[in-house]
This record gives sequence, C-alpha cells and structure tokens, in this order.
Amino acid sequence: MTNSIAEIRDTDCIFITGSNTAEAHPVISYEVIRAVNEGAHLIIVDPRKIPLIEHATLFLQVKPGTDIYVFLAIMHTIIRDGLADEAFITERTEGFEEFKATLEEYTPERASLMSGVSVEQIEEAARIYAQGKRKSGPSIYDSRHGHSSILYAMGITQRSNGTDMVMTLANLAMLCGQVGKPSTGVNPLRGQSNVQGACDTGCLVNVYPGYQKVGDETKRKTIAKTWGVDELPGEVGLTIVEAMHAAVDGDVRAVYVMGENPMMSDPNTSHVEKALRNLDFLVVQDIFPSETALLAHLILPAAASLEKDGTFTNTERRVQLIQPIIEAPGDALPDWQITGGIAARYDREMGVERDKEHWIFPSTQEIFQELTTVTPIYAGMKHERLVGEGLQWPCPEPDHSGTPILHKGKFSRGLGKFNPVLANDPAEQPDEEYPLILSTGRVLYHYHTGTMTRRSGPLAWAEPRGYVEIHPEDAAAVDVLDDRAVVINSRRGSVKTRAKITENVPQGTIFLAFHWREAPANMLTQDFALDPVAKIPEYKVCAVRLENPRAKRKKPELVKQA
Amino acid sequence: MVELTIDGKKIQTNPGTTVLEAALANNIDIPRLCHHPELSVSGGCRLCIVNVDGYSNPTPSCGLTCQDGMAIETQNEELLKSRREIIDLFISEHPLDCVTCDKSGTCLLQKYAYEFDITKTSHEFEISKPIYQDDNPFFIRDHQYCILCGRCVRVCDEVVGAKAIDFAGRGFECHIATPFDDPLKDSTCVFCGNCIQVCPTAALTPVSRMGKGREWELDRLKTICGYCGVGCQIEYALKDGKIIYAQSTPDAPVNGEFLCTKGRFGWDFATAPERLTSPMLRRDVAYELGLTSENWELPQKSPLAVRKPKVEDSHIPIDWDTALDLAARKLSENVKEYGPDSIMGLASARCTNEENYIFQKFFRLGIGTNNLDHCARL
Repeated sequence: MTNSIAEIRDTDCIFITGSNTAEAHPVISYEVIRAVNEGAHLIIVDPRKIPLIEHATLFLQVKPGTDIYVFLAIMHTIIRDGLADEAFITERTEGFEEFKATLEEYTPERASLMSGVSVEQIEEAARIYAQGKRKSGPSIYDSRHGHSSILYAMGITQRSNGTDMVMTLANLAMLCGQVGKPSTGVNPLRGQSNVQGACDTGCLVNVYPGYQKVGDETKRKTIAKTWGVDELPGEVGLTIVEAMHAAVDGDVRAVYVMGENPMMSDPNTSHVEKALRNLDFLVVQDIFPSETALLAHLILPAAASLEKDGTFTNTERRVQLIQPIIEAPGDALPDWQITGGIAARYDREMGVERDKEHWIFPSTQEIFQELTTVTPIYAGMKHERLVGEGLQWPCPEPDHSGTPILHKGKFSRGLGKFNPVLANDPAEQPDEEYPLILSTGRVLYHYHTGTMTRRSGPLAWAEPRGYVEIHPEDAAAVDVLDDRAVVINSRRGSVKTRAKITENVPQGTIFLAFHWREAPANMLTQDFALDPVAKIPEYKVCAVRLENPRAKRKKPELVKQA
Repeated sequence: MVELTIDGKKIQTNPGTTVLEAALANNIDIPRLCHHPELSVSGGCRLCIVNVDGYSNPTPSCGLTCQDGMAIETQNEELLKSRREIIDLFISEHPLDCVTCDKSGTCLLQKYAYEFDITKTSHEFEISKPIYQDDNPFFIRDHQYCILCGRCVRVCDEVVGAKAIDFAGRGFECHIATPFDDPLKDSTCVFCGNCIQVCPTAALTPVSRMGKGREWELDRLKTICGYCGVGCQIEYALKDGKIIYAQSTPDAPVNGEFLCTKGRFGWDFATAPERLTSPMLRRDVAYELGLTSENWELPQKSPLAVRKPKVEDSHIPIDWDTALDLAARKLSENVKEYGPDSIMGLASARCTNEENYIFQKFFRLGIGTNNLDHCARL
C-alpha cells in the first residue's frame, strides 16, 4: 500500500475494485465501513455483488474483464470535465500529454457498451473520485479537494493485463492528485501474512532483497561482497508457472518448495501435477501433508507461525515481530533452521568451503541483522526497534521512524510517470463451446488452498464444502438445481461440485473459490496467457461450460440439445 | 480548545469531546458499562452519570459534549447511591455465580459490584430471559448474563457492518436477537466474534473457552495473525500451554480491538492430528536407499482424487540428519549434472522475512540461480 490502513477511516471517497474486502480482508472492511458511517462515499467496481456493496454509494457491476474500459472512461471524463488536478500534474508528473491523447477514444459510451455499466454511473464515479466528495459530514482534511483512496486486490492483478490494470489505477490517482497525502493512494490489499515480506526479501525471479534488480551489476556486486563471493546470478529466473512448463520439458529437474501448495494454487492443475511427477527430486517443507507434499520424494515438517519467532511484513509495509505461542509438534522445526541445515550440507556436497555462519544462525535476530545489511529499505531496523508497533519501510537509518505514506512530495523515481495503457481483453473469451466465464477467489471462512482453515473446527463448520456460484439464468439453461451437483468443464479439465444459485454473480459468469481439494478450481484455469511483465496467471477469467451430471445419466438427448 | 473543570481540575480539550472522554484522558475514572471507545454513544446504562453545575439532574457523561466553563462533579454520595442502585438492578436479574463463571475476573458487572460492595440485590431476584443458545461452534449466547448494554449490536452494525443482531421484545422480554430469533448461521452473522470482544459480561463466550480455566490463571501472549496480509495482532489466552481463546487488545497497531473470524477462531488447525511431526521419505526412494524392504510405486491417481489421503501410505518417517543430507545430496547431484538453473525454489508468503531471506540466499549464493518465486502472484 502507498498509504496506511489507519488512514482509511478518514478517507472522503473510497474506490474499491477487484477486492472482495469484507471476505478476504475483513479487518480492512471494518475501516471502510467506519469511513462510510462517517459520511464517506464508497465506489465499488466489480463483476460480483460482493458484501460491501450494501454500504456503497455507487456499484459499477462490470462484465468480467471489461473494467479496464470503465477506468479509462473515468479518466476520460475527468479530463473532459476539467476535474484533473492540473497543479499536481504539472509539478509532480511527466508524460501527461501523450497519456491524455490515448484516452480520447475511451468514452463513457464505449465503456458502457463494453461493460454493461451506465454512462451516468461512470461519470458520477469520475466526479466523486476526482473531487474526493463526501456523502455527508465534514472532511477532516481542509484541502481544496477531498481525499480519495483506491483499494484493490487480485481481481485487478490476476489478469493477462494485470500490470496494465495497476498502472491504470496509478494513472487515475496521479491524474487527480490523489497520492502522496494521507487517506489517498493506490493500495493493494495483500493476501497472505507475509507476502509483502517474501517480496521485500527478494523471493522473486528478478530482484534481490529490497527490490534491487538482478541485472543491476553494482548492487548485485555489493550484495555478493556481503555474502563473501565475487559474483551472483544476474539473469532473471523462472517464475512459478514458467518453471512448471520447464519441468514438463525436463529443463527444471528439482524443486524445493517451502510452505506452498502449487497442486492447489497454481493454474492448470493437471499440468502442474505432470510437471511435479516429472521431477528427479521434489522436496516439500510444510506443516501439513499438502497435495503437493504427497507427491514429494521428501517431506520436511515445519513449525507454523504460531510456533516460531521472526518478522512478518503486512500489506501497509509494517514489519512486525511474531513470537511463539505454542510448541511445535514432534520434530517440526522453524523453516529457517531447516533451510539453513540443507544449505550447509549442500556446500559440503559441492565441496565449497564456506563459513557455516552463512547458513546456521543462533536466532532469527542475527538473520534479520544480516538481512538489513543487504536490504536498504530495511536498513534502519532491528528486532528491538520492532517491539510494539513495528516499523513501516522504507526505514533507511537507525533513527528513521518509518514511512507510513509513500510518494510524499516526490515519487520514488522523481516525477510520477503516466504510462499510457490501452484496453486489452482477457486471453480466453467465452465461445459456443465454453460459453461462461469462470472467476476464482476466496470465501470468508477459508484461506488459500484450505490446508489450514479446512482443519479448523469452527471454520470448517461454517463452510464445510465447496460450491460454485451460478446465476439463475445460467443454471436454468443446463437444468442445474440449487445445492445439487454440477460439473464445470474447461479446456484444461473438469470439476464436480455443488451449485449455489445466486444473483450475486452476473449472468454469464460463475465463481468458484480455490479452497476446495474435492473441487479444485485450478483444474479449470489457464496457464498459457500470463501477464507479459508480472507473469501472473489470469485466474479471474477463463472460459467454461456447465454440465448437469443427472442430465448426462438420465436424458442423453437433452445434453445434445443443450 | 474548550476549557472546563472536572472534579475541580481545570481541563483543556478539543471541541466535540465528551465529558467522559475528557475525564478518562485526564485519569479521572468514571464507571461505565455500555460505553465503548470504538463505538457510538448509547447512554443506556446510566452508570456514567455526573453532576453538571446548573443542571437539575445527573447526566450521562458519555453523551455530554464539553463546553467552555462547564463544571463537572463525577464523585459524591448522591452519585454513588445512584450508581449502586443501577448495579443493584442489573444483578436483580443476573446470576451471581461468579464462583464458576468463565468471565469472572474480567467481567465489568462483577468489577462494579465489587467496587460498590454489592453482594446481593435488594430487589426481587428473577432471571427474566433464561435463553441459552449454542447454535454454533464459535460462541454461545447465554442471555441470563446479558445486561442489554447493546455493545454487541453496535459493533455488529457500526464496525463489522453485518447488522446481524438487534434488540427484540419489550420490557422483561427484551433480548438481543437475530431476526425472528433464527440461528446465527441463518442470519447475516459473519462469526467475527467482535461482539464477544466488547461484551462486558459472560453473555457471549467462545466455545473453546468454556470451563477451561479462570481468567487469572491464563497466560497471555501476543503475535501477528498468520492468515491474510492485514497483519492483525492477536492475543492468545493459554492454559497449560494450550490456546483457550484468542482476542485482540486496544494497543494492536493495525486492528485495535477487532479481528475477523479466521483470526479469532481459526487457530485450532495448529493442533490438528494431520500435522507433520517428522521428516517423511517417499516409500520408493526409501526402498532405493535400503531404508525399507518393501518396494512401492507412486500411484498414477492424483492425490486430489483420493478422498482422504494419508501420508503414511506413501511415505515413511526418517530422522532429520538423513533427511537434510538427502536433500542436499539430491540438489547437488542435479546441479552437478544439469547446472544451477535446473533447480527451482518456491519460497513462502506464510514464512517469516528471516526464513525467506535464508531461502533466497541459499538459491542465489548456494545454488547460483534466480529460479526463485512464491505465491505473490497466486
């Protein structure tokens, strides 16, 4: 997030898109609701009627994959109606004229035609967001404009044009000067306890810790020196989905998985399974025998976060200490001890003479200490400083108090750059054979691949089994009944689950969460069209067909007609 | 700024501050039950009444806005008498079974009864709403302990936005209910448990906590939630090293007093019987290494197609030394034969910064590849 969670409460206009906040990030939805109760406007752009729309002033229900037209039309309207923050654009940004020219063709009328949202709603959303209007009550900010904040999540990024989508939201914020101040900004809500930290510490193909590009020789050499070598790999590596393809081709031959379950979380499960089975060696380190672990040659038992210490970095870049609450079961160990143990032995196998202290640490404090020496955004932190409230990066100096708001006065690159974006449609469009769109995501009571929440008594009671949300018209078309079995087919595979007939999904779209091992949504999703920059799979749109298993059994002639 | 005096003490405060807030900010404690700093003013319990110079009757301080020149008195015989009468009325329909009550020690009604030295009611004792609802595994609702302060109704409406409950019935029949008194699961309740968090009595109790120990016996430890990326701080109450229940505290930097259903109730996975407790080696590899005499072949059937797969069917337990040696050897063999880029590492968005740091360092410095990713994209 560019801004902090606590600021949401004081926002004048909250713009949420691609985030089912009340189910995936409930505690942030509390902040949104409190802002709305104080008179803030809430604009939601989403294909599904998510729970938060009850509190929204404007709900723009877009057809999946067409939100890009709506965002571009909102910006078109802002420029057309003179609502842009000219001063901000002149002082803080570059590339505006070129960007402005690309918006001309994206009229609200065109967006309306593509997305099914009315022209009036698009124009109203543009006015409210740009001016940071309130429904009622005074703003706590006495500036010319009210303060508007954008919240988004995977609904925006898990797309074949995910990077474009994020840049579009950044353009929108810059266009209205809604960045670099309290209660504004472009705020991704991140989905796992330490997904921010895993990125910060460099567990990505293209960056070393602290987002230092692998191709940046100077920075790479500095890190190499700290680690006691002359050179480190400078080529961008393979992302998860690319690695699975490479494994099928025999180019990737061994995989070390720490606390992940690609058999459930990666797109096109059959392909993933083929890839994993093709490996010479698969080692999985986890707290449960996940679907991935069951295929592994070696499984290593890890301690859960409730059983160890260290730090997590949350979605607002706040680095916080965790501490053990209970004891790890049996011989389970914290992951840092396991990985360190393998690394030390690996050096021995390879005949590398290196001090064991590179891998074996007395405690997480010393690891964090080393981490901060190669991670400039964490440089001013140490465990003792994180007691209590933690610190938000960047925190470059030992006496720096952290950074709750990014891009204040100046963007990290200097001037904010408008990146012109053109609308792109999802890679796999519905057709005659696969007439519906499948969107995947989460439900309130479960988390990711369900390995934890489905083993929690109360949570499993609240949502015991998987289901697919289907619009009544789509259900009627194949004679599927509520709470009865339905088969979903895509070009990749098929899944049988229970139908939940609801108008929460628009006609033509079905929704299936990816928590259910008995109905694994990623059997259906596609892995051929990734975002060209981020290499993220398009979980939010793929083409599927529904089938009624009873019809198949009893009335084959009906199936033909359907 | 507004200037007023409370108990003779000159106090400056921001316009719009209530007398209760101003008093609390200046270490002047006023008894209160229905007030909660994160919720709107209700004024229902009347316990926070104060005398205002120029007012004919005592006034609830929670709903009284500070004004210039106000003179407030928070303690005197008359006020104490009124407050005693209020507590007396509350306990005339509240069981005084503190000796076995799970809330004993943190119950606000008990605290004030103690402070005002009230041992029993001077009115006729009668439980007017003997309703006990245990319709879910998250928490029970025991209405005989409910004092109708309405904190739960307000948190559900104002913070969570679920609007699942409200006051129903009148007079002695009045109780907190879902529409038509339907089970919570059939209501808009999202089982976040923030109602338990704000409940001053034992009317709302987590199921996991019932009969598991006295409040003063419990150890309390705080950590950050392991689920989504919001980073809520959770306080776990433990007895004999086992989690009894989870809650939040006002000092939690991100979430304050509030949590979601996963954070508050979803911690029991950690003690699930399926937890991995020792390194496990696949049976065919174990056979190759001579660690088992029985050969085995990985079934072609996907683990996803097996209803309840058991890891013991496919893997055997081994010791850590053997496991770590094997991992290092297998990885190194592959690197020697096919180069470092034949290895892929998946780090974890659920592991700590320290663990992810070591993991990527192993891949880059140890193995020598940037084939390193995690589920940030998934």
